[in-house]
Amino acid sequence: MTAPHWLSAAEIAQAYAARTLSPVELVTALLARIETLDPKLNAFIRLDADAAMQAARQAEAEITAGRPRGKLHGVPVGIKDIIDVAGLPTTAHSKILVGNIAKADAVVIQKLRQAGAIVMGKLSTHEFAIGGPSFDLPFPPARNPWNRDHHPGGSSSGSGAGVAAGLFPLALGTDTGGSVRNPASACGIVGLKPTYGLVSRRGVFPLSFTLDHVGPMTRTVADNALLLDTIAGHDPADPGSAPTNARHFGRQLDRGVRNLRIGFVRHFHERDLPAHPEVAAALEDVARVLQAEGAQVDTITLPTLTEFAGINRVILCSEAWSIHAKWLRERPGDYGQLARRRLLPGAFMTAGDYVGAQRRRSEVIAAVEDRLRDYDVLLCASSMDPSSRMDDADETARTYPRQARTPFNVTGHPALAMMSGLSRGGLPVSVQFVGRYFDDATVLRVAAAYERATGWHKQKPPIG
Amino acid sequence: MDPIIIALARAAGLDKALAAFPEDVEAAAKQALNNAGAIQVPTDPAAEPWPPMRAGSGL
Repeated sequence: MTAPHWLSAAEIAQAYAARTLSPVELVTALLARIETLDPKLNAFIRLDADAAMQAARQAEAEITAGRPRGKLHGVPVGIKDIIDVAGLPTTAHSKILVGNIAKADAVVIQKLRQAGAIVMGKLSTHEFAIGGPSFDLPFPPARNPWNRDHHPGGSSSGSGAGVAAGLFPLALGTDTGGSVRNPASACGIVGLKPTYGLVSRRGVFPLSFTLDHVGPMTRTVADNALLLDTIAGHDPADPGSAPTNARHFGRQLDRGVRNLRIGFVRHFHERDLPAHPEVAAALEDVARVLQAEGAQVDTITLPTLTEFAGINRVILCSEAWSIHAKWLRERPGDYGQLARRRLLPGAFMTAGDYVGAQRRRSEVIAAVEDRLRDYDVLLCASSMDPSSRMDDADETARTYPRQARTPFNVTGHPALAMMSGLSRGGLPVSVQFVGRYFDDATVLRVAAAYERATGWHKQKPPIG
Repeated sequence: MDPIIIALARAAGLDKALAAFPEDVEAAAKQALNNAGAIQVPTDPAAEPWPPMRAGSGL
């Protein structure tokens, strides 16, 4: 029998229904695991054990009384610490916001609570979701459960580390330049940046208004669809929220990829940012697997990663400066160095730079849309390298920007990263699938077919 | 440090950062220049920015 901490949300729901596991038993087991492992991983900034146990008891009573709320009822979830949970601090992993108690739940937390999910606590992030693995902040950085000497990616670093280590089956992350998909890639889990506007950002500390997304992070594709089903939906109070009825994201998970057309963006990892050989080889394997499953895979071209990255950075830094200018002027020493360095460029960008980036953004969106008229899903790299050692700041600085995630923050298309193998050093490597607007379901369908064919999700980090 | 960077930093109100973290300010200014220079701004004068202005929606 699978140990409780490795059960997926779907398996947990089945176990609850069969009365072979209860919410109190599961949360008790997870709290014990967190007590043992989290001092080595630093996934949590704030564990809310009492509230989690109280929620577990409530879920247990409701389920026992025959009042199940759905598939996430009694399922634990971790929350990145830029998302408001009423009564808990939202610190953004920064000295700037220590003591910032959230007055209300973010909309995504409201939705999770309505579904009966159990909030376990607040998770490590890169400072304000933009710094990097840092040792000059009020809380230590999260570590990679596959090798604690290596970083777990970020900025949703605690979310990635905690899901991969079996501290909780589900987590929420946020993604402005790849921050759900980077830890998903580094930690060997599934991370989806949904279509822009599909998930409300109300109650989430902003980094860049036109690039920010909230996304699900899970160990399986089916769980990712379940979590997206719970958090998606129009929010009239979020100006970026889309008035869409898209839902039931897991409805196509069993359909396979036969006759789907997949565009393989090889130049991202072959020419633009040549990938580590093991990453490149794994991507070729992904293409072979999908072809063997019946998909048509063709090589296609998009604008270069250099250009996408430039657009992302100008927009991100300009919008972030408007949020952080007051603190950067008055309290620059209260930021860690990485966040300070990544936020300050906005002070030197002109209005012309920003509008020019937004004008070019229209063109690159049109280029991606053009390809997605011919292809159902795009296949490309996520990270170009396995994660670097945390004590090697130069290698981390070299490899962190070597990624192909920012294009889809610029365009807003749904993009999912998942494990595509293990490096010889025992670290996950990854692949990214990208879909049409509000067709997140087809992205998940392709990911599910790949997951079934390869079984990489069954690999577990050597952490106990 | 380039006096233009110093002048721009002061104009942005970054006197404290300039005094305490001059290397961060200088690196940020250079990064801003590099990022903006990597973008091929449209030559068509009518090319509009994204997201477009949509009157009467969103609020």
